[in-house]
Amino acid sequence: MFLKKSQLVTSIVGLLVILTVFVAGCSNTTKDQENTSDKDKPKVLTFSWSGDIGDLNPHTYFPNQWFSQAMVYEPLVYYGEGGEIQPWLAESWDVSKDGKEYVFHLREDVKFSDGSPFNAAIVKKNFDTVLANAEQHEWMELINQIKSTEVVDESTFKLNLHKPYYPTLQELTYIRPLRFVGEGAFPDSQNTFEGLKSPIGTGPWVLSEYKENEEAIFTRNEQYWGTKPKVDKVVVKVIPDGESRVLAFEKKEIDLIFGNGVISQDSFQFLKDSGKYETKISEPTATRALLFNTNREAIKDIKLRSALQHAFNKQAVIDNIFYGNEKKADTLFAPMLPYTNISVNPYEYDVEKAKQLLDEAGWKQIKGKPFREKDGETLQLELLFISTDNIQKAIAEFIQGDFRKLGIDIKLTSQEEETFWTTAYQGDFDLLFTASWGVPFDPHSYLSAITKSSENGSPDYKALLGLPAKKEIDEKIKEVLLSTDEEKRKMLYEDILTTLHEQAVYLPISYQSNVAVYHKNISGINFLPQEYEVPFTSINVK
Amino acid sequence: MKNVKRKLLSHKLMMISSMIIFIMTLLALFPPFLAPNDPNLIDITHKLQGSSSKFPLGTDHLGRCILSRLIYGTRTSLGTAFLVMGLTMMISIPLGIYAGFRGGWVDYLFMRMCDILMAFPSLLLSLALIGILGPGLGNLILAMVLVHWVFYARVIRGMVLSVKEQNFILAAKVCGTPRLVIVIKHILPAIISQVVVLVFMDIGGVVLAISSFSFLGFGIQPPGAEWGMMINDSKPFFRNAPSLMLYPGMMILIVVVAFNLFGEALRDALDLRRE
Amino acid sequence: MGWFIVKRLTSLIPILFGISLITFILLHLTPGDPAIAYLRASHIPPTDEAVAALRVELGLDKPLYAQYVEWLGKAVQLDLGMSYLSKKSVWDEIMLHFFPTVQLTFASCILIVVISLPIGMISAIFKGKLVDQLSRIIAFVSVSMPAFWFGFLLIYFLSVKLDLFPVLGRGTFAHLVLPSLTLSFAYIGTYTRLLRASMLENLNEPFVMYARARGLRGRLIVSRHVLKKSLLPVLTGLGMSFGNMLSGVVIVETVFAWPGMGQLFVTSILNRDYPMIQGCLLFMGVIFVVCNLLVDIAYSFLDPRIRWEGEK
Repeated sequence: MFLKKSQLVTSIVGLLVILTVFVAGCSNTTKDQENTSDKDKPKVLTFSWSGDIGDLNPHTYFPNQWFSQAMVYEPLVYYGEGGEIQPWLAESWDVSKDGKEYVFHLREDVKFSDGSPFNAAIVKKNFDTVLANAEQHEWMELINQIKSTEVVDESTFKLNLHKPYYPTLQELTYIRPLRFVGEGAFPDSQNTFEGLKSPIGTGPWVLSEYKENEEAIFTRNEQYWGTKPKVDKVVVKVIPDGESRVLAFEKKEIDLIFGNGVISQDSFQFLKDSGKYETKISEPTATRALLFNTNREAIKDIKLRSALQHAFNKQAVIDNIFYGNEKKADTLFAPMLPYTNISVNPYEYDVEKAKQLLDEAGWKQIKGKPFREKDGETLQLELLFISTDNIQKAIAEFIQGDFRKLGIDIKLTSQEEETFWTTAYQGDFDLLFTASWGVPFDPHSYLSAITKSSENGSPDYKALLGLPAKKEIDEKIKEVLLSTDEEKRKMLYEDILTTLHEQAVYLPISYQSNVAVYHKNISGINFLPQEYEVPFTSINVK
Repeated sequence: MKNVKRKLLSHKLMMISSMIIFIMTLLALFPPFLAPNDPNLIDITHKLQGSSSKFPLGTDHLGRCILSRLIYGTRTSLGTAFLVMGLTMMISIPLGIYAGFRGGWVDYLFMRMCDILMAFPSLLLSLALIGILGPGLGNLILAMVLVHWVFYARVIRGMVLSVKEQNFILAAKVCGTPRLVIVIKHILPAIISQVVVLVFMDIGGVVLAISSFSFLGFGIQPPGAEWGMMINDSKPFFRNAPSLMLYPGMMILIVVVAFNLFGEALRDALDLRRE
Repeated sequence: MGWFIVKRLTSLIPILFGISLITFILLHLTPGDPAIAYLRASHIPPTDEAVAALRVELGLDKPLYAQYVEWLGKAVQLDLGMSYLSKKSVWDEIMLHFFPTVQLTFASCILIVVISLPIGMISAIFKGKLVDQLSRIIAFVSVSMPAFWFGFLLIYFLSVKLDLFPVLGRGTFAHLVLPSLTLSFAYIGTYTRLLRASMLENLNEPFVMYARARGLRGRLIVSRHVLKKSLLPVLTGLGMSFGNMLSGVVIVETVFAWPGMGQLFVTSILNRDYPMIQGCLLFMGVIFVVCNLLVDIAYSFLDPRIRWEGEK
């Protein structure tokens, strides 16, 4: 032995001390950072999102996120509580008698974050660049209805429509694509669809730091015309999965969890039950549903579709996956939305009836085989879901297990969000998780989009092509959007929604809600009327 | 041979590891008899329960029996690992022997190919292959075999080279014995024990790799049961139900340790014989 | 010396060529028409004209070897195409994600040295004693541990229960500890045993006996001579492992939400972002080869025998 024992002990102890100091040093650095909320220090709210905020362009879609676009860019009119259209960048507006001309009187005290003026000319420029890429926004009927845009004077802007389109003002409240970037944001080609020079908007927040896929920091816009935000900075950290988000929240690395599907229902319940945090659930925002692809041979049969409706144990999902936090849905649109309170018989959970319908459809149970067959073919249905969405995954696995008992083989295909939508638009699925679009899009924009065949419409178009009444439904939707008579609109909507319900092409599951979980030092968390807006402006940090 | 047996048995860790491997093999072979419940039976009203007489290790987030899923997972993990190893050997042994025995430009070409394929980190190359083939157990096996055979073929070639110049082979050559006969009668027996050791030294690593792929979502698809996937599934619940994550991880650890110990003991024992 | 480096560098050329060839071929095994895939990913309806136009634009109408030459020419100029997913240059994305990965890998190397060195030394000195047995068991466990599980255990116990470290993501120095510990854990066992074996070998060398005969104290012998000599294989091994660790980050980065190459690679696979898969594979292959080359050269500095062999 070369070393004396005592020497060895000393060296081990020494090593341990070094390691401890190392470890302690690391943990201290985090503690220090947490304690820096002195009075003169800026108030910072840390938030997290599952993906990058994108290039912050109000005229484009993915990878842009609704919430971040809404922080920087503003609409002419705002969608208020209960669907009331409120003045925003436009102080007031006049609509011509025939409903084809809209004149907006713009606020005069508004400036873009780079100091450039907000006026009728820049409004027109924004409208025109969006209209130049009209095919990208086909889902939005207003874009198709705009005939021309006019600058009347410095602060008056006029919109001419082809036909009187009743949801015009409502569609102007949308987060995208009709919001405004400053002159300095336009690229050399003047086509904003190709990208912006920099994200210049009129909104309460300005992007100040950005590390792709890591974090984005928004600073309060000091020259904002409206109510100024209470906190100085909002840090948006990219945390792809819900569990990591919960862990980060518990460790106070983030202050607020907000949104729909951003954490699993189990985690929400866990955080709520712990009593250590504040939690809130919003009123229903949109409907979570399954879409059946009527182009697929098996699904084409209405009997099979009805069988699936009856086979689905909605209550079990509500009680055990949602812990009752989301309410059961029986129709595609929640009844409190405009025109959606229709009287139809919901499909009740009834296994026997489902079995009977399956038999009638020709899918017979064969002894010794786990799944039903028809003409030698197994009843296998492909259910497509987003791999990072915990709720979809849980429901999908539940359906797979539960339908197996009925002899239906559900094949689960999970894809990342971007790929998921590509597959959805291609129509490569039997069943698809979908959701109505929520306020202010439901029901008119959602229905409008299902009549659009292009890839910028909605996956529902292709999926519904197998319906015999598809053409008729589309015609009626087009008619209702341009109808100026309130009574007629009511009648047409009732007709359309009843047909969709009776054709059993949507399986409504629940009315989804936004959830908010936050630490007790945070206040001012209110749910805004538009589902995708996060109430950063009213939030305060103590 | 007796010597080997004695040596194997006297090794304490060897005893333990072979016991574990034996039990695991049983689990993998007869899950329907050993599992208390149907591993895929969903009963969402019984989700995330603790252990009970019906569910000895409790239930997962869909109310499925964890113990049954662990047992069925043994079949997936071990079965896949042995399949990967078996297929790999079916490519590596003939190719390695051919390159080593033939020598010359064949060998040169073979070695250059190895250099290139082994220039990639193997995990990355398998991942890229899966990315192109698409996820799924079959594709996972294919991707792993396509990447791993190179390494083994090269090792086997080395073994052949060291045997090739030994007197008994040279003697056989001089006698005019056909090449195929030399390979089957002399070379193969001379290297086979080393190959077996190699297989057992590495099978643990293969189990580990398979569970890693499943964890990333590239392996078996639901509702199939696999340990790596079970860990991934339990992520959302790992604070309220940490046991969901502990059990499958422990299974992986135990199996891999057992195989590694077994492989090392086997090597020691066979080395002794060569001396 | 210069000759040796030149020789090693030239041997690199066919390997790099092979890497590029494999990467290129792999991508041509993808099912379906890349032009259609590209259009779909860009949300452009794949009409016949659009596909035909894009095929010309992407050079897909040319023979395969011409496509390869063109692709290689671009790749050499660091033009690896555009990601389907982010619509950004693949090279830019790789550069963005490479530094965090290097950071993680370096931290892991340091941890390996800091942890395996004392354990390896102690178990060599107390060969066969309890400490040695214990270190053997640790080594076995470390090699057999599934990294993704170990990562979660660390998060659960050190982060959630004991609140010692931040959970996820990148930021302060403390963020680095758990991921690098997870990444290095598998190697710690290997290097502990390696150091132990190499120390045992050196302890029996004649120069140690001589030193003892000269009356040098035990500790001095161990620290100044034996350890120094035993570190050589460990350090060269580390160089080799560095490349391997670069691929091991795939799992660790997924568990800890570390925004590095591993995450980029997994995301691109999940999204079938073929140009990105190709770019990552090519890049990592080249880095791996270069790492091994550097190790070889460094080794030849430390151990002249190799250099002489090379010069012969």
